[in-house]
Amino acid sequence: MRAIRSSFFQMLAYMRRDMMLFAACPAPILAGLFFRYAIPFLEAVLADYFHMPAIISPYYRLIDVLFVMITPTMFCFVSAMVSLEEADEKTAAYLFITPLGRTGYLSARLGLPAVIAFLVTVILLPVFKLTTFSSIAILLLAACGTLQGVIVALLVAALSSNRLEGMAITKLSMLTVFGAVIPFFVKDSIQYALCPLPSFWIGKAGSENTLLYMFPAFALSAIWICFLLKWYLRKM
Amino acid sequence: MIQVSNLSFSYTRQPFISDMSFFVSSGEIFGFLGPSGAGKSTLQKVLIGMLTAYQGSAMVNGIECRHRTRRFYEDIGVDFEFSTMYEKLTAKENLQFFSSLYEKKTRPIDELLEMVGLEHDGDKRVADYSKGMKSRLNFIKALLHDPLLLCLDEPTSGLDPTNSRMMKNMILAERAKGKTILLTTHNMQDAAELCDRVAFIVNGKICALDSPHNLIMSKGAATVTYTWIDNGEHSASCPIDRLSDDEQLKRLIANNCLQSIHSSEPNLNDIFMDITGRTLL
Repeated sequence: MRAIRSSFFQMLAYMRRDMMLFAACPAPILAGLFFRYAIPFLEAVLADYFHMPAIISPYYRLIDVLFVMITPTMFCFVSAMVSLEEADEKTAAYLFITPLGRTGYLSARLGLPAVIAFLVTVILLPVFKLTTFSSIAILLLAACGTLQGVIVALLVAALSSNRLEGMAITKLSMLTVFGAVIPFFVKDSIQYALCPLPSFWIGKAGSENTLLYMFPAFALSAIWICFLLKWYLRKM
Repeated sequence: MIQVSNLSFSYTRQPFISDMSFFVSSGEIFGFLGPSGAGKSTLQKVLIGMLTAYQGSAMVNGIECRHRTRRFYEDIGVDFEFSTMYEKLTAKENLQFFSSLYEKKTRPIDELLEMVGLEHDGDKRVADYSKGMKSRLNFIKALLHDPLLLCLDEPTSGLDPTNSRMMKNMILAERAKGKTILLTTHNMQDAAELCDRVAFIVNGKICALDSPHNLIMSKGAATVTYTWIDNGEHSASCPIDRLSDDEQLKRLIANNCLQSIHSSEPNLNDIFMDITGRTLL
């Protein structure tokens, strides 16, 4: 535990030296402030301008669902970039042969950031949400969002060989988050074309207000994480 | 300390390391010598638990390497040929972090930096270090937790003669403290100077294993070559253990006619070539 804690704090110290990674950490709060205050203001201005009762507000639930995934994705993106740098500098390979080991390394780079992302989401969602959620829904959404963040981190870490590639893969892997948008806009069965994405089921749970849809999201996330983790470890 | 029995390993379906057996005693410097791609680094990776999908047995400190736990690494220090430091951090920050990973009390960082002449560069970012400085820093990182077993991969690579000498003295000092040292190299001078025993590895097999002295002696005695002038320059050679039988040499010495005389001892590289038909490089 001492090695895991030490390695996690090392990651934080490393982030302080990298402005891009440092700036990514408060991004969820900035996004939350924008969603909570700027969007309703924009809605009022647009509705007034176009003389319509509602323009954006029917999609407030979608905005909440996307916010649930933003915090873990940003946190896990940061840790994935640190892991990529460690792979580049071969420090990751060295850490594997210290008392930290592979499991400890994964705990420090994926496990702890995911747990923190979950806690931060559970705190931020009630503050910045635009629609109402039960406590159970907040917990389930935060857990699903966290798993989505871990998937993005593993995609970045497993598919890229340096930070530059990592940035490109991050943009691509963010597409997996947008599976959540489809159930809000595509109502016929063609929407199931994206059903392998966990985010699709998170969106489905949000659009139909049915928490049961979270279970396929959990199951699919587990499959994605197992597959990507094997890929990542083979690469390391 | 290390007991390897019938060890085989392969990255593909083709065998890479096959049926290797040897032991290394505590307090011994044991060298793996071989050309690039011979399997030296792979063998080292097996012994430090990085590769676990091997057949046979590889025991280090009484622990089968494929069943290693975190505690296994409390007593193993590894110095890779390449730098394994955080480039954006200073040398001290790096050493402090790596120290913090171990449960046991670690050695003082300033003392280690001083040992390799980096005491004035501890607060410099590793990215600003030269290759030689990174090598020295890498080496003391392996000593941080005072391990019982040191695995060194080409420790003198990229070092100038002064720093190479200093590094070799430090390796010998660690041996004097009772540490077991595995040295992977294709530098036969380092191996001959440092190792108690060496194993020649070619194509994943041990071709010979003995002390450098015994291996060199196995080729036979050194030869003496001498030259003299007699209607032009002439030269002749004679094994050093049969000098007293060389009548021509005795006559030339008696008449003070020798132009030059020197002995040439075989070195590990010669022995390696003799045994394997290959060079070390």
